Amino acid sequence: MKKLKKILAKVLEVKESSITDKTSSENVLSWDSFNTLMIISEIETVFNTKLTIQEAVNVKSVKDIKDILKNHGVVL
Amino acid sequence: MPDRDTIKNVISEAEPKTIGDYFLLDKKIEEIKKNQEIESESLFKIAILFSFTAKGIKEAINVECCKLGVIPEFFAGDYKQYAQDILNKNSELYRFKPNVVFFFIDIKSLFGENFFSPYQISNEERKRFVEEKIEEVKKLLQTLSKRTSAKIVFHNFEVPCHSPLGILESKEKFGFIESIEYLNSELRKFIKLNSPIFLFDYNSFSSRIGKDKILDHKMYYLADMKIGMEYLATLAKEYLSYIKPLLSLSKKCLVLDLDNTLWGGIIGEDGIEGIKLGPTSEGMPFWEFQKYILELFNRGVILAINSSNNPDDVLKALREHPYMILKENHFASMQINWNDKVSNIKKIAEEIGIDVSSMVFIDDSQVNRQIIKEALPEVTVVDMPEDSSLYLKTIMEIDDFNTFSLTVEDTKRGQMYSAQRERKKFQETSGNIDEYLKNLNTVVTFEKVNNFTIPRIAQLTQKTNQFNMTTKRYLDTEIKNFSENENYFVFSVKVEDKFGDNGITGTSIIEKQGKEWRIDIFLLSCRVIGRAIEKVMLARIIEQAKKEGVKTLIGEFIPTAKNSPAKDFYKDNGFKLAEKKEEFQKWNFELSVSNFNYPDFIKIKNEKA
Repeated sequence: MKKLKKILAKVLEVKESSITDKTSSENVLSWDSFNTLMIISEIETVFNTKLTIQEAVNVKSVKDIKDILKNHGVVL
Repeated sequence: MPDRDTIKNVISEAEPKTIGDYFLLDKKIEEIKKNQEIESESLFKIAILFSFTAKGIKEAINVECCKLGVIPEFFAGDYKQYAQDILNKNSELYRFKPNVVFFFIDIKSLFGENFFSPYQISNEERKRFVEEKIEEVKKLLQTLSKRTSAKIVFHNFEVPCHSPLGILESKEKFGFIESIEYLNSELRKFIKLNSPIFLFDYNSFSSRIGKDKILDHKMYYLADMKIGMEYLATLAKEYLSYIKPLLSLSKKCLVLDLDNTLWGGIIGEDGIEGIKLGPTSEGMPFWEFQKYILELFNRGVILAINSSNNPDDVLKALREHPYMILKENHFASMQINWNDKVSNIKKIAEEIGIDVSSMVFIDDSQVNRQIIKEALPEVTVVDMPEDSSLYLKTIMEIDDFNTFSLTVEDTKRGQMYSAQRERKKFQETSGNIDEYLKNLNTVVTFEKVNNFTIPRIAQLTQKTNQFNMTTKRYLDTEIKNFSENENYFVFSVKVEDKFGDNGITGTSIIEKQGKEWRIDIFLLSCRVIGRAIEKVMLARIIEQAKKEGVKTLIGEFIPTAKNSPAKDFYKDNGFKLAEKKEEFQKWNFELSVSNFNYPDFIKIKNEKA
């Protein structure tokens, strides 16, 4: 979770401590569509995996990301 | 003024790896810029015209530039608007007055439907279509180069790896793949003839990364990004090759270690027979490395040696080793001794007459590299790999020696500096300076400005800092204007002596104002300073002025941080101070009162003068 929080904090410019599963594009102003792509790109680099386009369009919240990574066999 | 150091400090500690890191640093830079109310005038202006989403590329260029100490300002056109930006002469692009334009149309945007369904049209139709596209691109490039003074960096097109025809592709009369190769080749021809336009070989760049990897299909469908985010920084770094020469950040001199750098092993221990160099598995990496360095020498890079060794061992190897590519005469300075490497670099700088900031240092020892990095941070230190088989790759990737043009003087530079070394030896053995100058057998050739000398004259005004009375910088086009204006007298001098030809190393531009002539430019390249060439040039001007009935010759001096060698020239040669306004000095030479003769030990030749 630490690595993921780090990515989110960097891209969204929020404090790591403020990030929870519920953090999403709904409640964080800086989480726009471009930042979603950045988050995906960072995740792919850091966790060495590739998201499918279906997964990518469904990324809206931290929980979504965690579910996807879990499906990819990434242990957070 | 921008506080370049603040920005540089923020950036130099950071080692951005992912595009997210670049975005973060970019934000920091923009904040500092904003807080310090930086004047837009002092910034380097970069325009980005891309046919697809270029988000990220600006951020990456910004960070890479700031690392170099260059603070840029950007114009990033809306990505489908590049044609309008170029064709509308009142567009924001032109108001921005860019110094450099990175212009990138990708093949999918250019070809549209014909990219995805290439065989819906016949070969003949395709040929017509491609010709049209070539004209379209040429027109954009022509318009752009006419309306700005910027250097334009145009990307060629990625040649696809796949065709719907598969193996039959190669049998088509004018196939899809061939049509894109043809497009690239026609545009290359066009760019050769248009000096402000440079080619960025994107096809080769994408091959290097891997055409299968460079496009992130998902990001392309999600956001029309045609380059994967992870490669944007790689691309931005490549762009520095075009930015460095624009800002005179290019390097001039390659300083080389010897043992385990130019050959394998240690000459002092292994001896000339023992070192690894030549056509063996272990010798080849060094052999090919030397061959590449020789190519750099041939394009005008100055070479120097900085080595801890006994000079005799090294000289024997340079002279006698059958596979030694680099010989004594390729090196402008050879510091082979047991002094520390820092003093040696300083000595090289002094001997050649260049600043250490124009040097690139190559040494296999990490310790030595660290010492130089700490003592002389202006020197570019190449991180050489442990494995010598990667030496060639490493040196090929150095992008610090780029220039926008090569003059004859550039290509001969290496030889000239090596002659300079001989000259210096000769000076040391001569009894006194007069005897030395006399025995040099100098020949100075005057040439009135003409189309062949214009590029070199412009280059001299742009690069000469030391013996330069006014340090005015002129472009080729401005020199051409002077040459066509009969109120100007412009000439260059070529200097030869018993050690070789220095090429065109001095120039003067004189404005004729009736009975008064004003010397606008009077300069000498540093490699011929101290050889009375300036006196010959002045004598030539005075001779011509007398011929044309001139009363007063006016010399101007504008001091800079670097031109103190020229400071007393007018004073010491019969000029009287006529005016002094702050830094600006005006010196008069009355032709009816004073006289000035050619130094008798220099032979004068006039060509088309």
